[in-house]
Amino acid sequence: MLDAPAVIRMTGIRKAFGATQAVNHVDLDIFAGEVHGLVGENGAGKSTLMRILAGFYPDYEGRIELADKEVRIIGVRQARQLGIALVHQELSLVPELSVAENIFLGREPAAGIPGFISRSKAAEQTRSLLREIGLEIEPWKKVSQLSMAFQQLVEIAKGVSIRPRVLILDEPSSSLTKTETRELFKVIHRLKQIGTAIIYISHKLDEILELAQRITVLRDGVKVGSDTRDKWDEQSLVRAMVGREFSSLFPHNHSPQPKNVALSVKNLSRPRTFRNISFELLQGEVLGIYGLVGAGRSELLESLFGLEPAACGEIRVFGERVKIRHPWSAKRLGIALVPEDRRRRGLVLMQSVGRNLSLPVLKYLSSLGFVKSRQENREVAEIISSFKIHAASPAAAAETLSGGNQQKVALGKWLLRPPRILLLDEPTRGIDVLAKAEIHAAIDRLAQEGLAIILVSSELPEILGMSDRILVMREGEIAGEFTREAASAEDLGQAAMAGAGQRLAGEAR
Amino acid sequence: MIEQSKGRDSLKILAALRDYGIYFALVAVIIVFAAVSPEFRTRENALLVLLQVSVTGIVSIGMLFTILTAGIDLSVGSLLAVAGLFSAIFAQQDSPHFNLWLAISVPILTGLLGGLLNGSIIAGAGVNALIVTLGTLTAFRGFAVWYRVNPIYNLAPSYRLIGQSAIGPVPVPVLFLLATAIAASIVLNLTRFGRYVYAVGGNQEAARAAGINVRLVKLCVYLISGFSVGLGALVFTSRLGAAQAISGQGLELQAIAATVVGGASLFGGKGTVSKTLVGALIIGVLFNGLVMLNVSSPVQQMVIGAIIISAVYLDGILKQKG
Repeated sequence: MLDAPAVIRMTGIRKAFGATQAVNHVDLDIFAGEVHGLVGENGAGKSTLMRILAGFYPDYEGRIELADKEVRIIGVRQARQLGIALVHQELSLVPELSVAENIFLGREPAAGIPGFISRSKAAEQTRSLLREIGLEIEPWKKVSQLSMAFQQLVEIAKGVSIRPRVLILDEPSSSLTKTETRELFKVIHRLKQIGTAIIYISHKLDEILELAQRITVLRDGVKVGSDTRDKWDEQSLVRAMVGREFSSLFPHNHSPQPKNVALSVKNLSRPRTFRNISFELLQGEVLGIYGLVGAGRSELLESLFGLEPAACGEIRVFGERVKIRHPWSAKRLGIALVPEDRRRRGLVLMQSVGRNLSLPVLKYLSSLGFVKSRQENREVAEIISSFKIHAASPAAAAETLSGGNQQKVALGKWLLRPPRILLLDEPTRGIDVLAKAEIHAAIDRLAQEGLAIILVSSELPEILGMSDRILVMREGEIAGEFTREAASAEDLGQAAMAGAGQRLAGEAR
Repeated sequence: MIEQSKGRDSLKILAALRDYGIYFALVAVIIVFAAVSPEFRTRENALLVLLQVSVTGIVSIGMLFTILTAGIDLSVGSLLAVAGLFSAIFAQQDSPHFNLWLAISVPILTGLLGGLLNGSIIAGAGVNALIVTLGTLTAFRGFAVWYRVNPIYNLAPSYRLIGQSAIGPVPVPVLFLLATAIAASIVLNLTRFGRYVYAVGGNQEAARAAGINVRLVKLCVYLISGFSVGLGALVFTSRLGAAQAISGQGLELQAIAATVVGGASLFGGKGTVSKTLVGALIIGVLFNGLVMLNVSSPVQQMVIGAIIISAVYLDGILKQKG
């Protein structure tokens, strides 16, 4: 099989977003009739690489050959015509339309009269397409009436309907149960038999190892390993995904105060999000929470900050039992959140840097409801200089700042009046190295000042370097706790990922 | 070098146009009408325009608060009719109910109650503001007609003084407008609440995540809009010396037009009191000037409609360039 010419040969592919090199000189060959597993941490460049192939980023560098002929992929439509189909992580179906209507959306079979659609042709073609991949779904059924799994399979059928040479599946099983995943695998086997090349992206390593003939590992946009299935096992995959030198880059001058519990959480649950979360957080401690996207980490922070209140469980803040139903009640308790999505939740982009910085603490900067603007300006200027926020002036709109400086504003706005408990959700995602280092230094300094800090991050080095203690979350539950000394990248990766297989085994029993 | 400085100059002009274009537009409109119409350029006429703009202006300023939070209040015209009728009940000269203080306070309270109703449904139940106030627009008007089909006349002279007298040369309604504008400016620019209004409109999610009680802010802006309607109703009824159930029809559209011509964004977070005032003045001057030129009423409406659209279009272009 591997002697045949590659369906797709990618050579020296590069793509940068601003200062971040998302994909860096990656070579990748994909053959007909194979399942090629693609793995890596969040942000390793898997999705970017695949989106290049699917025509989303026409400004990539490098060379792509399709069946030995060089092509330049500059558009989604062109990629589709070349036989490249990408099935996304997120569903892109229109729920209120039928299966057939969704599959043929935008290229409906024409009836005799121009402008009209032939329903019978659409139904017939849908039925034969579904039969081909072994699915039995009524073509006129509304997509919203299907289970998640079948919706996912319809999504794949939609991809297959263009008769692709290469089918890219990005986390297709992320929302599926074990039996549903089996259905998916059957479809994949069928497609393989008819000679389709399949690229399968997943965090679930057991699935990759079961399906793939060859596996490629990306890390920080670079290909760090690519080999046939028999050369890999779960350990070696995890090691390749996370292995690197770290810890020295991360300042760690703080130490937890053992007797001062700032936050204690008992059996906290929110339906379909997280279950039975219990932990304690000390003053002066950085508690890292690691896990995959969707493991419930951000949701836990949102509940602790009152954005989406937890359904049941107990929260104590400095020993006092509290209910946190709104962000303003969390703020009153001295809890602050720096959210994951700074553009959506962290900043009012159209407003000035100064107004953003003072927004959460205006109460302390005003008397009788009037803002004391002189004091406000002075304190804002202090934060801007101490935090090295690069802005044309405090009056510059937040949207004009770079990502790193925006993030500094999103964090800095809580520091005019420091909280007692600081919740950080991916505080360094997508920002440049310098800003990253400055934020790490700030975290360490704040912990030294006695703040209790929770750090949610998908970057293992950051979690390992900054935390005093690490919790691993998996599918809404705490799957492990590690001290700073005992934690290793492999252990954390395994606790976060490998467990998916164990859970399925458990369900089967 | 010269090329460069030219470029810089034109950028400066562009920026000035962007920030102050609305003021230039007002001046330009006034100059044009003054040039072609001798009737237009009299002191009496200037005061008349101000008088005509006063009610719309007061209501527009209340409207601005809701629009700043990315909301809207379509019910202002109908609510003005209800508040006007309630005011007139207590202002009738020969009526046993006559009570000047109630005639002044009841319309304000009515406005606040209407605003409370709008605000609690919008902020409390989270229903879209456009839908809620479209509903109350219809319901309030229905109530007004059901309550009193016939106009209420014969309002007491003491009550009519509010709308019909002047201090020096300045009509009292204009003073009400000025006071409203100054108070609103202070609230929006100098208070914490004002900051919250802009933050909620700029990015509601971020405002919530900064620990701001977004619902409370939203409730307050509809209360403010209701208050300004109540004040408008008092001025309107006393100036007219009568109240009727069909008063204030289309007022909501004039108020929205004033804020939007004044550069406010219907998506929230952008807009000022002074520019809203100028927006209301531009529309008022246009109406007045076209009347002076004997342009018929249907043609006036077409001209003003076209001007509203072009003003917002030009504003958009200038913002893109800047």
